[in-house]
Amino acid sequence: MKTSAKRWATTTVTLLAASALASACGGGKPAAPAQTAGQDSAKQSAAQEQSGGKQDSSGKAVTLTFWNGFTGPDRPGYENLVKQFNDTHPNMKVTIDISPWDSLLAKLPTSLATGQGPDLAAFDSSLITKYAKSNLILPLDDLYSNGVDQNVLPKSLVSAMKYNNKFYAVPANNATLLLYYNKDLFKAAGLDPNKPPSTWDEWMDAIRKTTKTNGSDKQYGIALADHATIPMWPILVWGNGGNFVSDDNKSSRMTDPKTQEAIKTWSDLVIAGGVSPTNLTGAEADKLFQSGKAAMEMNGPWATGGYTQAGLNYDVAPIPAGPAGKVTLASTVALVAGKNTKNKDAVYEFMKFWVSKDAQAQLSGQTGFPPVRTDLGDDPKLKQNPFVPKFADVANDAKYYLPGLEQYDKIDSDVIVPAIQAITNKKASVDAALKDADKKLNDILQGKN
Amino acid sequence: MNIARKRTSVMNRQKRAAFWFLLPSMSILALFVFWPIADLFWLSFHRWSLLDANHAYAGLANYVKLVHDERFWNAVVRTVYFTAGSVPVGIVLSLALALLANEPLKGMSAFKAIYFLPVISSFAIISIIWSFLLDPDIGLLSYWLKAAGFPASAWLRSTTWAMPAVIAVAIWKNVGFNMVILLAGLQSISASLYEAAKIDGAGALQRFWSVTLPALRQTLLFVVIISVIASFQVFDQVYVMTRGGPLNSTETVVYYIYHHGFELLDMGYASAIAWVLFVVVFLITLLQLRLFRFNETD
Repeated sequence: MKTSAKRWATTTVTLLAASALASACGGGKPAAPAQTAGQDSAKQSAAQEQSGGKQDSSGKAVTLTFWNGFTGPDRPGYENLVKQFNDTHPNMKVTIDISPWDSLLAKLPTSLATGQGPDLAAFDSSLITKYAKSNLILPLDDLYSNGVDQNVLPKSLVSAMKYNNKFYAVPANNATLLLYYNKDLFKAAGLDPNKPPSTWDEWMDAIRKTTKTNGSDKQYGIALADHATIPMWPILVWGNGGNFVSDDNKSSRMTDPKTQEAIKTWSDLVIAGGVSPTNLTGAEADKLFQSGKAAMEMNGPWATGGYTQAGLNYDVAPIPAGPAGKVTLASTVALVAGKNTKNKDAVYEFMKFWVSKDAQAQLSGQTGFPPVRTDLGDDPKLKQNPFVPKFADVANDAKYYLPGLEQYDKIDSDVIVPAIQAITNKKASVDAALKDADKKLNDILQGKN
Repeated sequence: MNIARKRTSVMNRQKRAAFWFLLPSMSILALFVFWPIADLFWLSFHRWSLLDANHAYAGLANYVKLVHDERFWNAVVRTVYFTAGSVPVGIVLSLALALLANEPLKGMSAFKAIYFLPVISSFAIISIIWSFLLDPDIGLLSYWLKAAGFPASAWLRSTTWAMPAVIAVAIWKNVGFNMVILLAGLQSISASLYEAAKIDGAGALQRFWSVTLPALRQTLLFVVIISVIASFQVFDQVYVMTRGGPLNSTETVVYYIYHHGFELLDMGYASAIAWVLFVVVFLITLLQLRLFRFNETD
């Protein structure tokens, strides 16, 4: 028995070591492609001359930490920008720490509240209210009065960067959502792949035609994610003229007839028509679209890189106009300064660099995001990427989801997501689910919960 | 008199020695277990948002809220479901495997290693792999199940099937650990007991009921208690596989604590839930000790 136990122990340890090794390799991050490094060397050396005068006489580099959640296919774009900043500012070094958004948002407030945390952080602009109200991030009015010109930012972005009329962030990116559609699946369903739907009627028709509910090759007309995702259902609600919260953020609009009608229309399509799986996360929806199992998806510019690389035959178009007109989601990641930073000047320098013409032209060209500036019209770098103008074109129809609400994440995760899931899982009628959500939402808005 | 004094001094010396031997581990426990539990208790009587420097005393408000919180009760029901689904099946399976592993068969060490491998693998990695396997559209396992005639299910995306899937993975992951402990218990049973039973004419089944099970009682008790405690605290697997979804159908109590503490940053309420969980686990453990008559020797 003893020898067999020993042999067993050896086998186990060997396998353990092997699995640890495998997981260590799997966890390693892929090297950032260096494609832009070469072509930008000329610009970099020019920038280096500019900043050369500022170099610290002691020669000691200031180190900044930058926490964010850019884990998507657009990640290399941000990494390249940081690298470029470090190359052009020899007296400063920004170390970038990328983790998934949810774990970032779990550790960021704790560390800031206890006197630690990063010098720079990035998170969805909806969270500015919460962080600013708790004084975890620094007000940036002096940066905007000296260095960053708010007149070059799109108007909607300017208000998204503020809390109580004070600036607390610069935009790290600027996204709108478009309708992604698979051209091959459109063709196969007898639809014109060069004429994407432009109204809800056409859209629903296309969704029904590309849905195959029986047979071995099941296929969905649309991949409609309802949780852990960039908001998709809100676009459908807005398209019908509904909303979740009143414009003054004081009362719920969950039982508004327009809201109710929108949710009824689309949940019927999902339940009875089987046009989309229910309970999808954003990542699962992307997977369905990327593997050709879903014909359409609403998504932001970050997805273009991955789909193109996967060799998918797709295009993007504005979200089809609903009864209330054209509308889509605006989503911005905010770049903020942690309250415990000891290098405010360097933080400002980084922010100025981030929203500068060169940096934005490069970021847009590489990722497909519209630039955060309005004055880059004919920059050749933007033209390299055919997606940029398409995402930029719908900017005027784009709305933020639950803007300016301190309890933004609670409203989303505890009220809106469960209401929609209760309906699509047939656990509650539209009426009952929205009435329940209405009560919960009003409680939150009135500070009762 | 003299003898009595001598005895006390020996006892004192033993006590002193025990104190010094216990000190290192007790101080670690005190710092990282007892102190946080006490602190948690204090937190649970406050409005304690991580984002707010002002921590007002709230009395029993968090506990009152908890009583009226439907989602908390849902989490309790889901946790009991998980425990009832994973513990009995898991223990029967691991006992069967332990009995098998106790037989002197060829290739037994490889067999044991295979069942022990999930135990030492990271739960996060395992959960990701199982999520892939169970994916209703591109998952290998869901494809096989469909081919084998099982009705098509969205598994982790179905409010009905997500929990059974999570339970199955938990059993698969933990069965090896329980097997090893039970195997150790089996090997400590004296062979003479089996010989005596054989001579008395007991069959294999009777030997199992009358010799193996009673002799294994202490080991089984240990396995049951740690399995129940672990099931009541299930978190990482739910976090990676389902995030408590769909529609809170896999939301366990610890996941709900995480949701309030680290997603909504409401530490006061999260602490209140944690304390309730602590008390419940404590009571259940006491009950189990009683049921298995821990201190009696028959």
